[in-house]
Amino acid sequence: MKYLLRSSLKSIAGVFLGLSLGLVVCYFAGESPLKVLKVLFQSSFGSGYDFGMTLFYTAPLLLTGLAVAIPFRAGLFNIGGEGQLLVGALGAAAAGVIGKDIHSPIVAILFATALAFLAGGIWGAIPGFLKAKRGSHEVITTIMMNFIAAGMTSYFTLYVIKDPDSSQAETIPLPAIFHLKPFAIFNGAPMGELIFVLIAIVVIIHYWLWNSVRGFELKAVGENEVAAETYGISKQKSWIFAMFLAGGLAGLVGVVEVLGNAHRFKLGFSADYGFVGIAVALLARGNILGIIPSALLFGILQKGSGSLDLETEKVTRDLAYIIQGLIILGVAAEGLYERKRVKRV
Amino acid sequence: MNPSSPIAIEFKDVSKVFGNFYANRKINFSIAKGSIHGLIGENGAGKSTAMKVLFGIQPKDEGEILVNGNLVKIKNPIHAMTLGIGMVHQHFMLADSETVLDNIILGREPKNFFGMIQREKAKKELVQICESYGLQFSRWDTKVQDLSVGEQQRAEIIKLLYQKSEVLILDEPTAVLTPQEVKELFVNLRKLKAEGKTIVLISHKLKEVLEFTDSVTVMRRGEVVGTKVTSETNEDELAEMMVGRKVTFTYQGPRKILSNQGAQPKPVLKFNSNKVKLELRPGEILGVAGVQGNGQTELLKVLSNPSTYGEKYFKEKYDYTVNGKEIGDATPFDLRKMGVGLVPEDRLSEALLKQQDMTENFLLGQHHDERYVSHGILGKMINRTKVRTEVEKNIRDFDIRPPYTTVWAGKMSGGNQQKLVMARLLDPKPSILFIAHPTRGVDVGAIEKIHESIMQERNLGKSVILFSSELDELIDLSDRIVVFFDGKIHGEFSRKEFDPWAIGKVMGGA
Repeated sequence: MKYLLRSSLKSIAGVFLGLSLGLVVCYFAGESPLKVLKVLFQSSFGSGYDFGMTLFYTAPLLLTGLAVAIPFRAGLFNIGGEGQLLVGALGAAAAGVIGKDIHSPIVAILFATALAFLAGGIWGAIPGFLKAKRGSHEVITTIMMNFIAAGMTSYFTLYVIKDPDSSQAETIPLPAIFHLKPFAIFNGAPMGELIFVLIAIVVIIHYWLWNSVRGFELKAVGENEVAAETYGISKQKSWIFAMFLAGGLAGLVGVVEVLGNAHRFKLGFSADYGFVGIAVALLARGNILGIIPSALLFGILQKGSGSLDLETEKVTRDLAYIIQGLIILGVAAEGLYERKRVKRV
Repeated sequence: MNPSSPIAIEFKDVSKVFGNFYANRKINFSIAKGSIHGLIGENGAGKSTAMKVLFGIQPKDEGEILVNGNLVKIKNPIHAMTLGIGMVHQHFMLADSETVLDNIILGREPKNFFGMIQREKAKKELVQICESYGLQFSRWDTKVQDLSVGEQQRAEIIKLLYQKSEVLILDEPTAVLTPQEVKELFVNLRKLKAEGKTIVLISHKLKEVLEFTDSVTVMRRGEVVGTKVTSETNEDELAEMMVGRKVTFTYQGPRKILSNQGAQPKPVLKFNSNKVKLELRPGEILGVAGVQGNGQTELLKVLSNPSTYGEKYFKEKYDYTVNGKEIGDATPFDLRKMGVGLVPEDRLSEALLKQQDMTENFLLGQHHDERYVSHGILGKMINRTKVRTEVEKNIRDFDIRPPYTTVWAGKMSGGNQQKLVMARLLDPKPSILFIAHPTRGVDVGAIEKIHESIMQERNLGKSVILFSSELDELIDLSDRIVVFFDGKIHGEFSRKEFDPWAIGKVMGGA
């Protein structure tokens, strides 16, 4: 517990460091740092709609953060969140086509969710399988799977289930029965009960990884795969499983986007959620519960970036990205500091 | 030690601090020129640190070092070499795929006008060095990887002589040698001594220190306990100085007579391949001896994890039964269910999760055990409260320190790590135990406890296969010893026939 507290303090210090440096940058760019902070705050919490949009940007990051943090437990670095979420979203969109005769909204939504999870999960499990059977490095294969996913989803969107009535690159819209209803207080921001479900998923996974036999095996493999193997844990199974779960969770971004927002697969909908998920997991420092505040922070920066364009004169949305980068540097620098201390003791 | 003989090296109040931990605290001792000086102590007593300071690998924080009476500030190993100090590390620092000659002359190659290396000239010089010190070596053009361990060590020593070292530091030089090679090494060291070289021998083996050194310095917890003239001390005194209390070396507890000795009892384990034929009888400790790399590791891996290593190490068919049951390619879990337990060869890389606490480490391999698992809606869950209670009990029984379940395994000393591994081994009450190197890198105090618990299991009628590179340990504990050489069992000794010299010969291939 003490360790947990200390490690989260380090993340907070990292955020503080990154944010301060970012504001120093604005100062030199000729913009008042206070004003930038105010714009960021107001654009994310200023109104029901703003807050709803912040949560809408946070939701995918909860999932992609998990998609990085879980394989990390098993010693894998999953860069493939982006591809996994694209394939998952395509799965959700396909659910509308395959299940157009479903009449119960619960069945419809569960069906689409299952399809999104399965599609993303299989996409994630492929690099896990390649690593287990052939020893291919997961960083390479997940990156390559991202490209394949981008190409494959474009093909499906443009040629297989293209919306014939639209001039844009998007799939056939889902029947209304598949739509998730947003909260009224969000004034039209596309976010409803889903956010609670996602937070519950993070909490359950946290609990499950720590308390379950499977979670123990993942941890043992990530910590020392030779010892794990010596004591009968299959690293191959652990890898494939971790990557399947990660891919499935990333695939659920499809539920957020396709069922909750666009009601179809739109090419290029993802604001690099898969990659920002890496930053989210890094900031959470491997602590699963830490993904919640971490995703919220990046959600705020995402939401605020648009307002920076409109409401300030000297800085643009790029400042939000600069701050994101600086926060990661701050956290990484904290890591360096820690390693140095361990060495000295 | 002749008090009037000149001093080669003198440590005066030297301290080395890591954080707030004194690895060396105000150590004082001197090494006479032309002597063999032993430096002994348990793991972590600071003997290696002292030598690293002397060899310039680590800077000292306080105190003075005198070389030949001159105050020096040793900056780095190269500086130490120019002062005539050389070191043979425990893990040899030779490039395996290069020839012995190139390894030896590395950094000091004789070159001609065009900068070309004059290998023939170097070889002549080396032959001359060997002649003058009476060393036997001629495999200059062999690649290091094709040398035996003993020969590699000799190459390292010749390298130091080529560098004109006057003081030779040898860090645990006998750890990897057969008794015959050890003897050869010391014969050579004595020749060097006769030629006026000074030798510092870092060791934790009291016997060889007593046999081969002129004087010995004992360290404990970073401090020098004392320096003795070897001929005026004995094993018990040195051990007491090392540990700080009286120690028994050989297991002196009860050794139950096997009830079925004489008759041919039904073996509990059989392993049959065309290279290795092995039977384990109930209630015996079967010692497996051999120089590292002669097939013992492969046997242990196959015995303990046939699913992963069976095909890898034994391409031809083998026959493996436990209690009469075919094992086939069982996993470690299957074996565990049949009552087989394992202490792997290498604690840190194979047995422990360094950055996890004792509870998690205790769980490793036991995480499917019904005692620690409950079934919930999220699948099999671990009941950590139960595990923790069990770990606390084991901490008391095995005297594991520090006695907190939340300590990371990587932060414990070797002895306590090994006690934890032993505790985990015995927790499911196995009837067949594979135990490898149970006391490697373990301090004397913990060795007693570990030997005691192995013997206790045997006296309860459990069967043990004990792999060890310490022949003394095997002789002390085993009922029977098989000796590996070149991947095969090369000899077998029953307890009556135990003789280190004879066993050593077989280890060397005789």
